[in-house]
Amino acid sequence: MAIFGLLGAASLLAQDEVLDARAVKINLTPQDAPVNFVSTTMGESRVTSRGAAVVLDLHMSLEMRNASPNRIRGVVLRVVSQEVAAGGKASVAVPSLNIGPGESFPVRIDLQLMRPTQVAGGPLVQVDLDGVLFQDLTFYGPDRLNSRRSLTVWEAEAQRDREYFKRVLAQSGPEGLRQEMLASLARQADQPQLDVRVIRRRSVSAAALAPEHQAQFAFLRFPEAPVYPIEGSAEISGGEARAPRIQVENHSGQTVRYVEMGWLVSDQKGQQYLAASLPASDPELYLPPGKSAQLLQDTELRFSRRGEPVTIQKMTGFVSQVQFADGKVWIPNRQNLQNASLLQVLAPSPEEQRLSDLYRRKGLAALVDELKKF
Amino acid sequence: MKHPSQATLALHAGGDLGFLARWRAERHVARCARCREDFAAFLDLREVLPDLSETPEISWNRLASEMKANIRLGLAAGECVRAEETPLRHSLFSGARAAVAVASVVALLVTGLVLQHPAPDPASVDGVEVQTTANGDGIQVREGGRALRLLHTGARSVTYSVGAQGAMRARYVDPETGNVTVNNVYAE
Repeated sequence: MAIFGLLGAASLLAQDEVLDARAVKINLTPQDAPVNFVSTTMGESRVTSRGAAVVLDLHMSLEMRNASPNRIRGVVLRVVSQEVAAGGKASVAVPSLNIGPGESFPVRIDLQLMRPTQVAGGPLVQVDLDGVLFQDLTFYGPDRLNSRRSLTVWEAEAQRDREYFKRVLAQSGPEGLRQEMLASLARQADQPQLDVRVIRRRSVSAAALAPEHQAQFAFLRFPEAPVYPIEGSAEISGGEARAPRIQVENHSGQTVRYVEMGWLVSDQKGQQYLAASLPASDPELYLPPGKSAQLLQDTELRFSRRGEPVTIQKMTGFVSQVQFADGKVWIPNRQNLQNASLLQVLAPSPEEQRLSDLYRRKGLAALVDELKKF
Repeated sequence: MKHPSQATLALHAGGDLGFLARWRAERHVARCARCREDFAAFLDLREVLPDLSETPEISWNRLASEMKANIRLGLAAGECVRAEETPLRHSLFSGARAAVAVASVVALLVTGLVLQHPAPDPASVDGVEVQTTANGDGIQVREGGRALRLLHTGARSVTYSVGAQGAMRARYVDPETGNVTVNNVYAE
């Protein structure tokens, strides 16, 4: 009878089937769009029933083609499943591209959905283009996820880091570049990472309203930053932080439409981690020169490392990106990061990650050839 | 006119018909001379049957006693067989076998419960949360039993970053395409 029980359980587990192609809807771009979907492969995509729950494993590869006369620098695809995560959505972005006119490139999406019940009819997942950024920083797409700003910031970081490595190559030769790559790979391997869980509550419990103490932010200031942090705090209780808020002031001569702060925390041993970014809460932020605004998020962050809560001893903030009314962005330069020892704490830019990976896989000559393309 | 069968007339003579059949038979016999004669013959035969039991060549009473005895013997034998089967039934559903059966049922129920709730999380909250997946192969936005996950299976070095507004990002070099890929989930 035990065998029958196990067989019964196994049969329940084995209720999976190949994913119906109709379960995924890809919203194609218009024919005159500067980027087109060429083909889609679904690979080993499957739907599995586990009791009353349905798990969908989607392994999809989209082939896209640059139909514009410009080179593509980055693309963002939006992934939405209304039934699975109310209020939840996802995206897959590919920055640091260099796709010429007429060239094709792949975008892979490995996705898993879990939901309580089978819903009859309709696609489970919808995939559509949110935006594409070109070499001249022009943008195409609906931009529902603020992809224009993300891609523009990544491109600014890419230009900054490529220039830095080209300068190292020019001043110190291939061996100097090799040392930079080895240092970058070492930083990436040693970068301290926290496990962070962000919770946006539907209702606020009494426990959530009783913080242990209000902790103040210390700030790193970059001399040429267009926005300065003034003061800020968060409610701290052990390894939890709630409702962070930072007051900032526009010191530039241009109107600012978006500000994002980097948020560092230190544990009891003095180890510093990048905890999160703190973006402006108001999507319609309008900050003229000389004016101030408050960045505020009504969320709860739980910090842990290797399964153990991390007690927060100190919080530090710095301005990590600013977008002006004309769409241009400001980011810290390489010297800012070096002087503030932020290179040891922050993740490398996508471009530095790509170039160091190219060096690791194909060697110095391939890296030098790649830098010469820009 | 449809005449009743001989069997019906015989049963009627012995008073063994039901109410409706008897009423129909009486009604027919009262009108039909031929059936009335047959009915009368069956009544006569019934009167002489008790005498036949005393016919010396066939001892009907002894035969009936023997048949009753045989029936009782058969019933007694049946009881004996049932009495021997009872311990067998008890041994089938007792001891280790019963324990295994109960354990199997419990295992099946537990398995069913687990499958009904494939991702129980005692720390689940009333709200939307973003976090890394339990086995570290992706990031997810989840609410109750629903989750949307983006996986980076096979990626060598993954950096995670969090947005305090309720977003999480996983960045890695795709081992198949060589392109930097940034997966994002949003709880907004």
